[in-house]
Amino acid sequence: MRYFHILLFFVFLLALACKDNSIDSAIVKKDTFDRKVMLQNFAENLIIPAFSSLENETTKLEEAINQLATNKSDQNLVIAQQAWETTYSVWMAANAYNFGPAGEDGIRKGLIEEIGTFPISENKIETIVEKNTANFNDFNRDARGLLAIEYLLFDHKGNSAVISKLQANRLAYLKALIADTKTRVSTINTNWKTYKTEFVSNAGTDVGSSTSQLYNEFVRSFESIKNFKLGLPMGLRAGQTKAEPTKLEAYYSSKSLKFMRLHIENIEKIWLGKGTKEGIGFKAYLETVEGGKALVSSTELQLVSIKKSLEEVPTNKTVENQILTDASKLTILHTELQKNTRFFKSDMSSILGIAITFASGDGD
Amino acid sequence: MYKSSFGEPIMENLLKKHFLSQTSIAPLITFRIVFGALVCISTIRFMCLGWVKDHFIDAKMHFKYYGFEWVQVLPPFWMYFLHGLMLIAAAGIMLGAFYRVSAVVFFLCFTYIELIDLTYYLNHYYFVSIIAFLLIFVPANRLVSIDRWRDNSLKTNIVPAWTITIFKLQLAIVYIYAGLIKINYDWLFNALPLKIWLPAADNLPIIGWLMKYEITPYLFSWMGMLYDTTIIFWLIWSKSRPLAYLSVIIFHVLTGILFQIGVFPLVMIGATLIFFSATWHERIYNYFGNIFQTKYQLSSYKTNKYTLPFFCIYFAFQFLFPWRFLLYKGNMFWTEQGYRFGWRVMLMEKAGTATFYVKDGAIGREGEVLNSDFLAIHQEKQMAMQPDMILQYAHFLKNTYEQKGVAEPAVRAEVFVTLNGKPSKLLFDPNLDLTKIRDNWSEKTWLNDFDNK
Repeated sequence: MRYFHILLFFVFLLALACKDNSIDSAIVKKDTFDRKVMLQNFAENLIIPAFSSLENETTKLEEAINQLATNKSDQNLVIAQQAWETTYSVWMAANAYNFGPAGEDGIRKGLIEEIGTFPISENKIETIVEKNTANFNDFNRDARGLLAIEYLLFDHKGNSAVISKLQANRLAYLKALIADTKTRVSTINTNWKTYKTEFVSNAGTDVGSSTSQLYNEFVRSFESIKNFKLGLPMGLRAGQTKAEPTKLEAYYSSKSLKFMRLHIENIEKIWLGKGTKEGIGFKAYLETVEGGKALVSSTELQLVSIKKSLEEVPTNKTVENQILTDASKLTILHTELQKNTRFFKSDMSSILGIAITFASGDGD
Repeated sequence: MYKSSFGEPIMENLLKKHFLSQTSIAPLITFRIVFGALVCISTIRFMCLGWVKDHFIDAKMHFKYYGFEWVQVLPPFWMYFLHGLMLIAAAGIMLGAFYRVSAVVFFLCFTYIELIDLTYYLNHYYFVSIIAFLLIFVPANRLVSIDRWRDNSLKTNIVPAWTITIFKLQLAIVYIYAGLIKINYDWLFNALPLKIWLPAADNLPIIGWLMKYEITPYLFSWMGMLYDTTIIFWLIWSKSRPLAYLSVIIFHVLTGILFQIGVFPLVMIGATLIFFSATWHERIYNYFGNIFQTKYQLSSYKTNKYTLPFFCIYFAFQFLFPWRFLLYKGNMFWTEQGYRFGWRVMLMEKAGTATFYVKDGAIGREGEVLNSDFLAIHQEKQMAMQPDMILQYAHFLKNTYEQKGVAEPAVRAEVFVTLNGKPSKLLFDPNLDLTKIRDNWSEKTWLNDFDNK
């Protein structure tokens, strides 16, 4: 017992000593990582800019749609289509932050479910248009958002097909869709300005901490590329008997590949903490923890492979066409993404000590 | 009666002193009240957090305990009913009301709920379960209880020593076994997994700054090992007891702040009170009235002749069962063979990513499973690193996809696991058809070796 107490006392002394920094050389203060700095970078350099440009672009899209509604000209349709494409491109940089102001709240799901659900349901949209029964607070998330707008603005048969279908009800729903999307986005953008302080100061690693929420959404966003943007339309899911290219993201505009590239770019930006300027992200955080350097180098190598395989996906054929004829390059991309999954999904949270679920751990 | 079975006087004396002699009931009363109160709080907390819904009602499948596959989740109403009943029984234990029935009901409800899903296995749930089991056998309601108030003939202020010793023995096993397993290279010399966990807690008030030092995880590792292996002895020895108990409080409060471990720290702080002397406990009760002032000793309790042989068997099991891992080859932390029910708490940082592929035996088409279609996040997280759960899930997928029309499904999985921050490795050959493997007690030879791959 005496030794035990001596030891206890010794630890206590050490603790005090550490605080005085008097015997620092013996105990080595670590080069610790300040999560607040990382969170601040994410807020100021990535998240807030992403939501502001999303708000700008949705505003422009709304204007373009209103203009199209007043005059259903070919030119106005093209302008609206271009505005949609820009909006959706910008959305690729904002789709990984479905927490805080963009998170679930009662019946409202995360922003990505509300404005980014795909595949959309043609049936539901057509029924709503026909009966003029728009409702943005129900569970029909596959009948609203940016991809429902896409469905109304694009048609594989060409722009004249779109215009001929644009009757009063359809236009009304289109206007309601963009109005709803814009409201959601601008509310989030406004709320982030006040939420920022909370986001930066909630700097723990427990469930509900900013790091944990950001990390979870980051992984979910990354996994969605493989699982939903490639796996499902390619028919690589268990139980599927054939490819289902209509389930592609941006199927109607045939811009899937462009958006996938932007999405992957954004994942890498979150990894690096790079927004409008260089900053601190998960990579820098990992480099300061036990086992982190090894994980950083494996991840960086794999990110290179992902980008390389992405570059090799033909651009002269639509993704839909490739899925139906020769999906070999897409398959390689799918495999390369899968190889990186474990680095992001379990290795990273394990060594960062980030809590993912709320269930109690095994106590000591 | 037991004299003949033990030749040596030492054993005889020990037996007399710690099992057969009469001693004050006070420590047992405290133990009952504190345990009852804590399981009440724990049950209320569980229900308030919405875990009945999250863990049981919303789940699409459950991972079964080997040998307890028959334990089924009940319809929502009955799940809440079971928790309600358990809460009443917990209150019954605390108040000493219909005590024996309460203890039996609590033990059965609690254990049944725990056995529904292996995902939620925790050593401290196992601990609560066996303490509830032991409580069934002791007369902890014979003083300061509603039962005593209802029936004065129950009144007892002395009990046979075994009724207290069994709890001390059980606590000793918990602590010492938790400590012994910490005597391993990674824990002591690499300070793993604390080197991973502690820096993540560097923003905590009061102690956060400590986590910034290289040496802190080492100190905590050694302290933890020394604490677990020796604390029981310091608690037994009356001279060291006050300081030892202070360190119990500090230790558990500290782990409670550092880790997400629910009410467990309180359970241990409460349970170890049983090591305090009878007089110490009696003083508490006498503060409220003349409960232990009576000069004459009063006993209305007799030990059943089967009691001691029964506990001999029980403790033989408790002593031996945690060692079963020695019968398996390979690294226990990696294979988890013999890991559970052995007081291995907060011992390793482990995580995995498991991707399952189902192949149609008729047309040969293979597809990837989206785990979130079937599993809650916590289920997926636990499954992805534990071989027996991986097997169960593979068999579940086989049945599920068979029903969906996939002919003779073969299920394989690519499972990468990271242990204590080391780069993740394949847990087993990703080409194995897991539907061909059955889980049992024998060596899991299909797993890769941790050290050589």
